Order: sequence, then C-alpha cells, then structure tokens
Amino acid sequence: MNPLPLDSTQPRRDFLKKLAAATTAAMMSRGGQLIASDAVIQPKATADAVIILWMAGGMAAPETFDPKRYQPYEKGAPMANVLSTFPAIDTNVDGIKICQGLEHLAQVMDRATLIRSCVQPDLGSILHSRHQYHWHTGYVPPQTVAAPHLGAWMAKVLGPRNPVMPAFINIGQHLEGHGESEELKAFTTGGFFGSEFGPMNLPVPDEAAQSVRPPKGMDAGRFENRSALFRKLLDQNPQRDIISDFQRESMLRSLENAHRLLSSKERAAFDISLEPKESQEAYGSGRFGQGCLLARRLVENGARFVEVTTEYIPFVHWDTHADGHATVERLHQEIDRPIARLIRDLESRGLLDRTLVVVASEFSRDAMIEGVPNSTAGDQATVKGDTLESPQHYGLHRHFTGGTNVLMFGGGMKRGHLYGATAEERPLVAIKDPVSIPDLHATIFTAMGISPKTAFDIEGRPFYATIDGTGRAVRDLFA
Amino acid sequence: MPRFLPLFLLSCLAAALPAAAVDFSHEVVPILKKHCAECHMGDKKKGGFSMNTREDLLAGSENGKVLIEGRGAESLLIQLITSVDSDEQMPPKGTRLTAAEVQTLTAWVDAGVPWTAGFAFKKGAYEPPLKPRRPLLPAASAGRENPVDRILDAHLAKLPGPVPAPLSDNAFLRRVYLDLVGLLPSPEQLTAFLADSAPGKRQQAIALLLNTPQPYAEHWLTFWNDLLRNDYAGTGYIDGGRKQISAWLYQALLENKPYDQFVRELVAPTEGSEGFGKGIKWRGQVSAGQLVPVQFAQSMGQTFLGINLKCASCHDSFIDRWKLEEAYGLAAVFSDTPLEIHRCDKPTGRQAKASWLFPELGQIDASQPPAERLKQLAALMTHPENGRFTRTIVNRLWHRLMGHGIVHPVDAMQSEPWNSDLLDFLATDLADHQYDLKRTLALICSSKAYQSVAEVLKEDADRNYTYAGPRSKRLTAEQFTDAIWQITGTAPRKFDAPIKREGSAPRPEQALAAKWIWSGDQKAKAAESGETVSFRTRFHLAALPQTASAVLTCDNGFKLWVNQKEIARSDQWETPVAVDRLDALRTGENEIVIVGTNGGQGPNLAGLWMQGQLRFADGSLQTLNSGPAWLWNSAVPRSDGLFTPDPGHWKPAVEVNGAAWQGINDALQALLVENANGGGPMVRAALMKSDFLMRALGRPNREQIVSMRPNDLTTLEAMDLNNGQILTTRLETGAKAILQKQAGAGSAALVSWLYAFAYSRAPSPAELALATEALGSPPNAAGLQDLLWVLLVQPEFQMVR
Repeated sequence: MNPLPLDSTQPRRDFLKKLAAATTAAMMSRGGQLIASDAVIQPKATADAVIILWMAGGMAAPETFDPKRYQPYEKGAPMANVLSTFPAIDTNVDGIKICQGLEHLAQVMDRATLIRSCVQPDLGSILHSRHQYHWHTGYVPPQTVAAPHLGAWMAKVLGPRNPVMPAFINIGQHLEGHGESEELKAFTTGGFFGSEFGPMNLPVPDEAAQSVRPPKGMDAGRFENRSALFRKLLDQNPQRDIISDFQRESMLRSLENAHRLLSSKERAAFDISLEPKESQEAYGSGRFGQGCLLARRLVENGARFVEVTTEYIPFVHWDTHADGHATVERLHQEIDRPIARLIRDLESRGLLDRTLVVVASEFSRDAMIEGVPNSTAGDQATVKGDTLESPQHYGLHRHFTGGTNVLMFGGGMKRGHLYGATAEERPLVAIKDPVSIPDLHATIFTAMGISPKTAFDIEGRPFYATIDGTGRAVRDLFA
Repeated sequence: MPRFLPLFLLSCLAAALPAAAVDFSHEVVPILKKHCAECHMGDKKKGGFSMNTREDLLAGSENGKVLIEGRGAESLLIQLITSVDSDEQMPPKGTRLTAAEVQTLTAWVDAGVPWTAGFAFKKGAYEPPLKPRRPLLPAASAGRENPVDRILDAHLAKLPGPVPAPLSDNAFLRRVYLDLVGLLPSPEQLTAFLADSAPGKRQQAIALLLNTPQPYAEHWLTFWNDLLRNDYAGTGYIDGGRKQISAWLYQALLENKPYDQFVRELVAPTEGSEGFGKGIKWRGQVSAGQLVPVQFAQSMGQTFLGINLKCASCHDSFIDRWKLEEAYGLAAVFSDTPLEIHRCDKPTGRQAKASWLFPELGQIDASQPPAERLKQLAALMTHPENGRFTRTIVNRLWHRLMGHGIVHPVDAMQSEPWNSDLLDFLATDLADHQYDLKRTLALICSSKAYQSVAEVLKEDADRNYTYAGPRSKRLTAEQFTDAIWQITGTAPRKFDAPIKREGSAPRPEQALAAKWIWSGDQKAKAAESGETVSFRTRFHLAALPQTASAVLTCDNGFKLWVNQKEIARSDQWETPVAVDRLDALRTGENEIVIVGTNGGQGPNLAGLWMQGQLRFADGSLQTLNSGPAWLWNSAVPRSDGLFTPDPGHWKPAVEVNGAAWQGINDALQALLVENANGGGPMVRAALMKSDFLMRALGRPNREQIVSMRPNDLTTLEAMDLNNGQILTTRLETGAKAILQKQAGAGSAALVSWLYAFAYSRAPSPAELALATEALGSPPNAAGLQDLLWVLLVQPEFQMVR
C-alpha cells in the first residue's frame, strides 16, 4: 500500500507558510483569527482545487448510482415494489453497476470513487434548504453565527490559487425569484469570515463572461477611460494626503484587485463561447452542462473552489414529488455526458490528479419512506397511493436520508473504487461503512490539505472546519 | 503534476502571518499562567512587572520594556525564558519552558501581542459596574463646555497626542446629515449652511435633522433592523416561523419612543413587536441552543445588554462569567412550557427556572405565567439601577457616530471602556432625559469631539485603541443607495416595508372613485366564462400631462391599449396592475381600449376597474375612471389595437356591484398612492428588500443580530461596483435623469453641482478641468454616467469622514 498522505505530518509553521503562499495579506486579517494548535496537524494536500457538482433537490440513489431491483411501469403494480425505475447497466469497472441513462458516466467509473453509504441526520420535517445548509456548511441550521460555505472555508484557509481568480465561484443557482431563495442565501455566503470569502455567483454559465467584462453597453475603450479618470481624479483629490489612511488604502486595493480581474487574461476563462465547437457540443446546451464546461475553464485558470448546481427550485429537477421517472430520465441526459466529459477533459489536461470532483446531493429519495424508517417526518409526496395508477406515480417521490450516493473523481482519491453499501431491499439504508457529513467534509478538507480540526476564533469561541473538529477523513477513499 | 499558474504576490504576505497564527486564550494564557503567575499575576508584581493586563505587560518592569510588539526575538521576555544564564533566566526556578511554548510566545509577541478584549489574568480584574454612576465632570477648557468635551479634553490632556483639529463646515454638514438622517446634504442645503454666519448654525442643523421624524426614522431603521434582526424578506418568513416588527418599529422611531418604553415593548411585547422575542422558528428539529426560548435569551442579552449568551446557552462560558443555568433562566422567562436544561445539546434532567441575569436588581417570580414574567423582565431590564442597559445603548450610538465604541466591540460590554467617565456620563444623561435617544445623539454631535477631523488610521488601528478623534465610517449599503437616488433623482416609487409612511396615506384625489363595469349588471345572471368584452373611453387633451398613471384590474384578465398601443396586460385579477407611463398619449383626441375577459368555469361575476390620473404642468388633474360613461362592444381589436371591420354600435357600460371584489380594495388604494407619489418624500433604501448591490455593499442577511457591519470594501464587492448590473443601470438612468433636469447647464456647472452633492465641497481647479473634459461639452449621458461612477466609487464618497 502506498503511504497515506494523511499520515505525513507537517509542522504547523510549514502549514502557515503554505497558507501564506496561497493567500493575501489583506485577506488573512479579515473575518476571524485562525486558532493555531499543536494538536492540529495539517495534512499534505492531494488536491489543489475542488469542483462540487451539486444535484440539487435530492438525487435518488436507486435511480442513479445505486440501482436496485428494477420495477418497470405497470399500471396497478404495488408501490411497495418500486425500488428503482431504471434497469442497471454495466460500467467499465467490474462489480459496479449504475442506472440506465448514465452510459457516459459508466465509461469513466474507472476514474471514480463511488460512495454508496452517505447518511444524513433526520432533521424532523424535511426542508431542502436546511439539509443543503447542513451539507454546504457542515452545521445544521439555525446557528448563532453565520456558518460559512465549504467554499468560503477554502477561500479563507487556502486563498485563491491564482491571485486574480476569485477563490470561491458558485455556478448555476439563481438566488432570487424562486422559492426558499432566502434560505439558499443563508448558506451561500462567506458567513462569519465576511464577504471577502463569499462566492462569486454566476447563475447563468453562458452569461458568466459578462461578470468579468465591462458593464453592458460599455466597450473596452470606454471602460479603460473610466478607470483612467478614476485614477486621475484620485490623484487630484485635495484630501489624498490627509486621508491616506489604512481604511482608504484597503478600499483602493480592493478596487484595484477587481479591476485587475476585469482586465486580466484570465477573464477569458469565464467566456464559454471561446471553447471549440466540438467541446461546446459535448457539454451540451443545458445550463448544468455549460456550468461544467465553465468550471473546467475556471479551474484551468486557477480557481480554487467551484460549485456547479443543477439548480435548486422547489419541486423542480431532482426535487421529484411526482412524475419522478420521467424527470430523472431527463436529468440523466442533463448530467451524464457533461460530467463524463469534464472528467476526461481534466484528465487529458493533467488536472485530474490535483482536482477533486465531487458529485453530491442533500439526500436520496425513496418511493415509500420519508426521512428514515420510523421518522416522524410528514409525507410530502404530491401523488399518493398504494399502487401505480398513472405514470405520475412512477418514481421516487419521498425524501430519504438513510443512504445517499457521492461520487468522487481525482484529487488523490482511489480510482474504480466502491465504498459502502445499502440494503438490497427496503429500507435501502446504508448497511456498510456509513459516511456522515462531517466525515465526508473531513475527507474533502483533508484532500485539500486542511485539517478537519482547523478552527477559527469567532466571538471568542472556536469554530471548526467540521463540527467541533469531529470529522474524520475516510482513509480508504484515498489512493 | 499539473502546472498551475504561478503563485506570486508572496512578498506582501509574511507581515500578516503572525497575527493569524496565535490563539491568545487557548495557547498563550495557559503558558503564562503556568510559568509566570506565581510572581507576576494578581497582587504579585516582582521586579515591578505585572502580567495582569495587556497594558501592564506593555508597561514593562523596573528594567524597562519587557515586550516589543511585533519583535519577539528582541523582546526581553523571550530572551529571559530562553536564557541559559541562571542569574537572569525566567522563571528563576522550576520547570523551564519547552521549545514549543517558547515558540508560541515568540509568535505571540511577533503578532503584536494580541489580547482578548477585556481579559485579565487576575480573576475579576475588570467586572463592569452594574449600577449607574455619575462621574464628576472636569472643568471645561478653552470654552469647550459640552460634557463630552469636558471629559475627553481631560482624557486627551493625559495623552501625548494633540487635540484633534476642528472640522470644516463642509465636512461637518456632510457628516452630520449622513449620521443623523443617512442622506447627503443637497447642494442648496450646503450653500445655505455655508452662507449662514450665525454662530449657532451647527446646533441648528443638528436640531433640524433630529426634529424631522421621517428621514430620521428611515435612517435609523437600518440600525434597528440589524440589531433586532428584522427584514422584509428572509429565512423563516417563508413558513410563518418568523414575524416582522417593521410597522411597530417604524412608528416607534417616528415618535422617538423613549428607549426604556421601546425596550419594554420588545421584551413584553404587543402584537406588533413580538417578532423580535419570538426569533426564528425553523421547521423540524433544532439543537437545544437554538430553541426559540434560548434564542430569546441570546437576543435579549446581546441587543440590550451587550452580553453574549451564545456560549452560555450550551455550557458555562469560557470567555465571560455567564453560566448555562443563567442563560436557561432567562430563556425560561419566555418559555410557555417547562424547559429542560441541555448541556452541549444533551439533556441534563434539570428544569430551568425563570430568572434574570442581575438578581441584585430584583428577580422574576417563576411561578407567574409567561406574560407576567415578561413584564417583570421588562421592568428589570429597564430598571433605573440597571446601568448596563443604558451603557449598552449609548455605547452603540457612540460607535455609530464616532466610528469606535467606548467599549469595543460593542457587544462585549463586559470589557473595560477606554473612558468609563464618558460611558457612565452618557448613560446617566440618557436616563435623566426620559431615555430620549435623540438627546444623546444631539449631545454627541454638538461636541467639539464629534466636530473634529477624523483620525488617520494605521493597519493595527483596531488592536491598540487610543482615542484620537472620531474615526471615519464606511457608507452603509443603504446610505450608498440613497445617495445615488438623491443625486440622480431616480428612487423607486414603491417600497417593500409593510409600514404606514407619511405620504403613503391617500390624498383626496386618490380615494377609490372608479366603478366596476361590465356589459351587464349580472344581477340576474353572471357573465359566461370566457366572455370577452371591449371597453372604450375617448378624451381630448389640450396639452400633454406631466405625469399619467393608472391602476387597473379585471376579473379575470385584461389587455390595455392607449391609442392602439398595448400598454399592459394581466390575467391575475387579485394583483392589480399599476401603469405609471401612458407614453402613447398625445395632444388632441385620445382613445383607451381595454379588453376584459371573464374566466372560471360556468357563469361567474365579471368586472373591470380602472382609475387613472393625469397631472398637468399647471397642477390641474384629469381623471380616467371606469364608469357608466365608458362604452362596450363584443368585438375584439386586432393585436395592433384596431377594430377591423368596424364593430358598429358601442353600448354604455353597466356598473357592477363591486362588493365581490372589496377584498382587493386595500391593494388598489395602496397602488394608487404609490403610483401617484412621484412628488412625495424619496423612498429610502432602508424600506426596500435587499438587492444584489446592497448585499454586495454589506447589508447583512438578518438571521443573526448584527451590531457592527464590516468597515472595509472587499474585492468581490469592488467587482460589483465595477460592473454590476444594478449600479450600471442605476447610473445610466440617473445620468439621463440629471441631464433632463439640469437641461442647459454647462459641463463645468454640472461638475461643481456633482462635487457639492457627492462630497459637500467644490472641485479643485484640477478636478474641475478633468471632470469637465470627461463630461464633454455639452455634457453627454455616457460621459456623465462614467463621471458619476468615478465620483461614487472614490473613497471620499464611500466614507463618512
């Protein structure tokens, strides 16, 4: 067995040097102080960048990466017979089958570590945004302080990989206009680290270029003239000497940083229309596929943490409360080719080794059980009934937290590896090697060279990367 | 190995490192306690050296300085703990420090000796007094009579630095406007103020600002919304787990409700104010520390007393004196069911007993029902002998006006103030004057201390605070937004806050006057579902109106044409539509056609309602109200609004009893008022839901209490300023609006006007020349848009100095 990178310890000072190398002076001073302790050994990173591919709304494991006994649509069939509504297909790894519709992903399973035993706590009544908050921050809401997003942790502890590139980029989620949008905003933030570490939000991938371009209606010449006028008037400001204080300088530095990205060569990374036609077609015209393409371009240009979501909208996409089979059939198409292509692209560019790609969701789904067996959570399926009466009934329409899939690629993880298992018959709970959210996060943090015990002093008390520092990386996942 | 882009910028990083590296309370304190306590803590001061407080440490020993901030290796302390000379080494006997301990202490000194505010080794070295205290005011010097100045002048006299220089009239006016009402003084207000030679003019300006209830209320609403975590949208409102207090709060600020009364109503609430105490109730299970009663304890402690009970609501606090039992006692005051104490989310088997944090002032009778307990709590909170209560609020106000708390951070009221006389004076003064917060604001603003130039800050400005004058503040997101709306005159007409706003009460001409009409009165038989009817009114206009607006709805839907131009359509009759631009109007004959469609299944009541108003330059009004004078026809126009072939005879419309739709009368009324309110007081950003720009400029999600917003602009925020759509659009529209209003003004005059508005000063000749050139001659909209951006993004604009 290869020596585990997890065991290679680094003295704290080296870690701090590494922190220094990856961040900027201004950033470190903001939003909480790192609590240094000899008890916290920073692991050696196996990845430099993370891409989270977020299956928003609850991706049913039995309909994707953990196929169970297939029940074709038959009018009058008992609902209790429904475990999977897609037959299983072979992958290029012996012993790993996934659902029909994911044929492209089946051909990259030899690069993947598939966890079938992730579990979430039963929070009583299911509210997606609460579970999403938990998944993205490691803390169950509500909290007395604003918990930072996983990406904000990366931004705060590691900083940007490339100084001009925002460290935390969030693709595909509109934060206005849909249900639960306030709840989404609550965790899509830098939290107590402050907005310096919060996300750059790019809800529409093919409009991302606009976010690093001069404003609409302003050509490059005018934009530069405007900046030039800004500097000239700044120089002429009669108060420039008497107010040459730290606050002013820090403001100007931020303005300068922003301007630097807007006029950098890296800004081309945000423009997916510059991608060759063949590649654009491979990623497809769906928002998620385009998001994957954008993520690849950003990581190539030094992004640290990128999340791409299929977008959470209540009762839409993976949030199947009815008509689940047909919806998932469409979602298979939306994710299958783009994710596979993303993995191949990263690999062919030599980036996969140091980029951790994580496909995850807030929980799974089941045709019968809401929450976990014996949960008090109320049934939220829209169409109810004991038998399949119409295609609307056909699918997994209840929120299930007892066994969830996470798929990982690259970034130091094993390849062609299967971890954990769920029962073959309902309840389809994890029966082997359950992985909690703190442990999953610990794995991601560890791959990125951050100890799950890393803590910051917030309002005089320690706040940890994983709750109370309890997360343990799943060693068996690392190559 | 993949090749990533090279990392550069390494050189500027080292400096920030040590600061982030050392954890004072968890790492440094144990080492110092272990090795140094015997001789240098508590009453022990061997060699004249005490480590009780940071000040003591820095003061050094008989032999001079022991620590040099930022230079560990050169510091005597480090040299002595590593020395091998048994005559000088520390500690002189006992165990030596380990290499790791030495390393930690060195890093700590390197980092500038960071210290937890208020911490002292000697137990109880600083315990803030509870009771109010009336300090003796020092004699006034140089005619500076304001009590604030008397205290601060005496304070400054003991410091080496100079007395801060007085502030110019220009800067004073900008500062006091932004601080008290959140707005920029207009160029006219500025000119008048500068021209005024009365000696009391600053005093008058302060009084005027505080005596205009609406701008005052709408500025301080931001402060209170943050502190009471109230908003118009946000987590928890979605499923009724949270309740706004907007209407109550707005009214309280308008009336300047005495602060003790204000707090009593939040602690023992009325229906309008209960949202604060009730906090946020999440669906599903939450940790014990976030149960609603525990949230109540945390909120009451933090907001009104500057006590952080978040630690103590999980376990006895490590950072102050509060115990789990006490946090739960306060929670139990609120709880209407028995409350079991949980330690770190695990049940202890003990029931909490309703109690209050400072029993020396009295105690809650736990046997009483919740409403009575809350009343008792309200009385104890606002007890005349509870100095913590008044100190906490005056410190918050001081922080808002002066940029740094007397106790800082402002939620850590257990810490020692840098001047307790100042804090105690302001606190007793508030109580002595009927808890009138405006009185405190006026007192501070009237001082020469407030009216001094802002301190020039260094990077470590927050670590070692010494009073050296007011500190500049960053414009809040709301102030920034309001300022743009002020300068460009493009504030929205509608606002989101569910409040009754002056100018939002209907004027007589805005009373509901239009009639519900249809092709038949439907008393005998309701309209068929799907029935479609065209309505028409024609009128003559001698001149074009200055404003034209209408509110309309139709059960179930309508399309509106003005002179064959489609203006609006809707199929949501419950949500009336406001139209504030009837662009297609012309002088001469005009025609409005509305096609109404009935919906539903089977016959049901149908009706159309529209109330329009045209306002002319001479102030006269003309109404456009649906009624029996309108005509109807069963023919429907083509998509271009024309009737072909001619539909023949038009019949008079029939009034329908509107009782069926009275449920939307409030909505109709509100829209009418909003729609016609172009001339009312400007809608303020504090009344709007947060948008991307405001969020980018630091307006918080208000799930947690926020008492201090970040003072610095981040890179992501700067990006939003650079190319964000909201700001761009606002400035684009704004530039056009300015040019329209200032038509004919030359570029130079426009530049001077902008400088006066944005900065409250005239441009220098060099600035004038640059800006005028950028505007073009005559000024063009793009040039003005860019100049606006340049001026608004300058630090001079973004800061209140």
